[in-house]
Amino acid sequence: MVDAPLIGPYQPDDRLAWEIDGPRTAGQLLSEVVRLADSLPECPTVLNLLSSRYEFLIGFFAAVLRRQVTLLPQSHASDTLRQIAKEYGARYCLTNPEHPIDGIPCVGLPPPSPSQWFEKVPSIPLSQVVAIAFTSGSTGTPTPNRKTWGALISVAQATAIRFGVNGGDSRSVVATVPHQHMFGLEASVMLPIQQGLVMHAGRPLFPEDVRTALEAVPGKAVLVTTPFHLRACVAAPVKLPPMGMILSATAPLSRELARQVELKFRAPVQEIFGFAEAGSVASRRTVETDDWLPLDGIMLGQEGPDWTIRAKYLPYPVRFPDRVSVHDDGTFRVLGRAEDQVAVAGHRASLGDLNRTLLEIEGVSDGAFFTPDAQEDSVTRLMAFVVAPGKTEQDIQQALRTRIDPVFLPRPLVFVPRLPRNETGKLPREALRDLAERCMRRGTRDDA
Amino acid sequence: MSDLSIFEQEIAKLIVQALKLKVDPSAIEPEAALFNEGLGLDSIDALELALAISQTYGYQLKSSDPDIKANFSSLRALSRAIEKHRTK
Repeated sequence: MVDAPLIGPYQPDDRLAWEIDGPRTAGQLLSEVVRLADSLPECPTVLNLLSSRYEFLIGFFAAVLRRQVTLLPQSHASDTLRQIAKEYGARYCLTNPEHPIDGIPCVGLPPPSPSQWFEKVPSIPLSQVVAIAFTSGSTGTPTPNRKTWGALISVAQATAIRFGVNGGDSRSVVATVPHQHMFGLEASVMLPIQQGLVMHAGRPLFPEDVRTALEAVPGKAVLVTTPFHLRACVAAPVKLPPMGMILSATAPLSRELARQVELKFRAPVQEIFGFAEAGSVASRRTVETDDWLPLDGIMLGQEGPDWTIRAKYLPYPVRFPDRVSVHDDGTFRVLGRAEDQVAVAGHRASLGDLNRTLLEIEGVSDGAFFTPDAQEDSVTRLMAFVVAPGKTEQDIQQALRTRIDPVFLPRPLVFVPRLPRNETGKLPREALRDLAERCMRRGTRDDA
Repeated sequence: MSDLSIFEQEIAKLIVQALKLKVDPSAIEPEAALFNEGLGLDSIDALELALAISQTYGYQLKSSDPDIKANFSSLRALSRAIEKHRTK
C-alpha cells in the first residue's frame, strides 16, 4: 500500500459530521474540500486555526490535496504564530473571521455548495507530510514534528483495532479536546473520519455542553476528553445518555476518578499514552491496570539508558518524555516525568525554555518557573519567581502572554528581591520549593 | 475597599479560592474583565469556576446560553447571573 483514501468507508449520503445546525454528509465534505483546494493560494504550508472541527477538517483536507502542510502550533500566542508562519513559509491562515491574526492574511471558507460525489475518493501517498505539530523545543524556538499521512492513518487504524471502534455500536465521536492538538487530531478527527463514524464539530466545555453534544449525535458516542473535563462531568448533576466508550489523554487519570466515570457514564474509560513527537503510543483501562499496552505497530527499544519508541511511520526512534520501566510482556509503566519537562493541560514545555523566555523580558534581571506538586485530575498551574525592580505584575504577564502558550502563564507570579541560587549559580529545586511554600503561606495570611 | 455588594464579595471569594489566585478578593474590580485581559482567566478556569458554581449554588452553566459571554464578562455580571439562576 503506497497511498490511502482521504476518508473511510462512507457512501455519498452517509452522515460524516454533526455541525451546530445538523448533519453534513460525506458528499458535502468532499465537494467543499475540492472547492476550497481549488481556491487556496500557492504556498508550502498553512496555519489552520478554524474552531469548528468540521471546518478545520475541510481546511486540512483541502491543504492535503494541494500538498500543503498544515501547521499545528502548540501556542496560539500571536508572536508564536507569526514566528512559525514566517519560518515555515505560511503566507496565509485559515481562521474564523472574528479571530484575525495581525500580519497573516486570512482565507475564509467558501459558502456551502451542493454535494457532488467522485467516482474515486482522492487517495493520498502515505509518505506525504501533511502536518507539523509543534512542541516547545530546547532552543526556545518551537520544535517541528512532521506527520505523514501514513502516520495518521496507522494510528487511527491501530486505535480502532484496539478498541473495536468501527462504526458498529459506537457511531459518533464527541470531543472536548482541541483538534489542533496531536491527540485531538488523531482521536477526534482521523479516527472517526477513517472509520466511517460521525464526527461532532463542536468542542463542548461545561458538563451541560457535553450532555447536549452526546444527545445530538446518532448512536452511542465515543467521548474523547481529559481527566480535567471528566472530573467536572462526574461532579455535575447532569444525566448523560448511554455511551460507547471514553478515551482520555493529555494528563494521568487517577483510578478513583476512572471508577467514578465508568459508574456515571456506564461505559469503559480507556486512557491513551502519547505525545506530539510520536503520537498515540499505548493504552490502558485505568480501572484495571497501571501498565500501558503499546498499540499495534509500536515497538519499544533501548538506546543506552533511555527507552525509545519505534514504528514504521516514524522516521527515527523517539525517546520517551517520561521515565518508564518496560516489562517482559511488552507493557510498560510510567515512573515519572523526565527532568526539565512540564505539562499543563496536555501542553508540554521544557522548564529551560520557559525560564529563558522569562529572562528575555526587558527589566527582568533574574527569574525562574516552578512546578508545584501535581494534584490529581485537576490542572496544576506553574508558578514563577521574578526579580524585576520597577516592573509590575501586569508588565511581566503581558510580555509573557505574547511569547508563551497562555496555559503556562505563571499563577502566581511572585516578585522577590533575589532567587535562592547556590554558590555555583544553580537553583536547586528544593530551594525553590521552600520559597514557594513560604510565598503561599504568606499569601494566605495576606488574604485573611 | 472597593464597592462590592455582599454577594459580590462572596462570589469574588469563590473565584479566588476555586482558581487559587493570589489576589485579594475585595480588590477585584466589579466591572473589570475576568477573562483574557483583566484577571487573565482561560477556558480551564471557566470549567473550574463552573464546577464551583454548580456545587455551591446548583447553577449549571452551558455554552449554548446566549448570555454566557455576558455572564462571564465581569464579577458583577457573574454575581447577577448566579443570583438569578441559583437553586441552592
